[in-house]
Amino acid sequence: MTGAVSLRDYASQGRPSSIGRMDSTILVTAISAGLASAVEMVEAVTIVLAVGVTRQWRSTLFGVAAALLTLFAIVVIFGAAIIAVIPIESLRILIGGLLLIYGLQWLTKAILRAGGAKAKHDEAELYVQNVAALEADAPVAADKFDGVSFAVAFKGVFLEGLEVAFIVVTFGASAGSLGAAAAGAAIAAAAVLVVAAFVRQPLTAVPENTLKFVVGLMLVTFGTFWAGEGMGIEWPGEDVAILAIFAGYLVLSIIASRLIGRQIAMLARRSPIAASEPQP
Amino acid sequence: MSYVRRFFAFWYDFLIGDKIELFIGPIVAMLIVGVAVGMGLDSAIAGLLFFGLIVLIGALSLARSLRSVAGG
Repeated sequence: MTGAVSLRDYASQGRPSSIGRMDSTILVTAISAGLASAVEMVEAVTIVLAVGVTRQWRSTLFGVAAALLTLFAIVVIFGAAIIAVIPIESLRILIGGLLLIYGLQWLTKAILRAGGAKAKHDEAELYVQNVAALEADAPVAADKFDGVSFAVAFKGVFLEGLEVAFIVVTFGASAGSLGAAAAGAAIAAAAVLVVAAFVRQPLTAVPENTLKFVVGLMLVTFGTFWAGEGMGIEWPGEDVAILAIFAGYLVLSIIASRLIGRQIAMLARRSPIAASEPQP
Repeated sequence: MSYVRRFFAFWYDFLIGDKIELFIGPIVAMLIVGVAVGMGLDSAIAGLLFFGLIVLIGALSLARSLRSVAGG
């Protein structure tokens, strides 16, 4: 049974096919964590830019650094503890279930956005809202510590990053490659931060909903696969089943978003005002 | 007390949010498939059953969201 042996055990047994399986799992783990990180960091960057431009960069960057360090500690502590304490069979059921719960939330929201039933993220508008809110507080001299800048930047990066930390820990622990998941997330976050530092404005060109759609599909796919293995399902074709599951969810998600789009268009014809204001 | 309440409210919102069916649904699906596999159901059929149940949960949640949109 595939699920009875961890990927690390496979690799240590020196089977070529198993090492190939581990490599592909590590790659997919890193890509999934990287995509999730990129999406969340785009949202965090909007908040950080608003704070830095409106108030003070020094305290804002302290807030960002403190949030990233806290997230790193969470990933290391929880990831290592989960891998060390929980047997791989139980881990796959627990983490597969969590990935399903979390992935379904991402995917259904992305489907609703694609169908026009839910408002898409507008980073430019969020930036304007954040700036307006921050200007209400009294400014602090550039050489003094600004608690507001620190707190808002910390909260923004920490809350957006917590979702990434969750994905890194669950994906990394289940695939036995916490380092790959963390590296994928860190590289993507660094890339987004570098781009943001150069352009100095909200990253409106990033296709956030498409990325969320893909990440949601990956989370649900691996949740299904790993939870199934944990429950004793021997998937036909082993890892090839992952592609089949992904393709199945992809096709059904596209169909669902098209059907929702039609339904929304029909509602718009009946009641133009209600349908023109999708839910936030 | 309010700190503890806020702590749990944060995690409730983080994991469950406003879609309780997406929290309970996968757990129920895993229970059904776990029992079926334990009773000797063929792996391929169990896999299809699991996939189908997850699709059903997603479809029900989307239908619920659409109803709330249509209802204003």
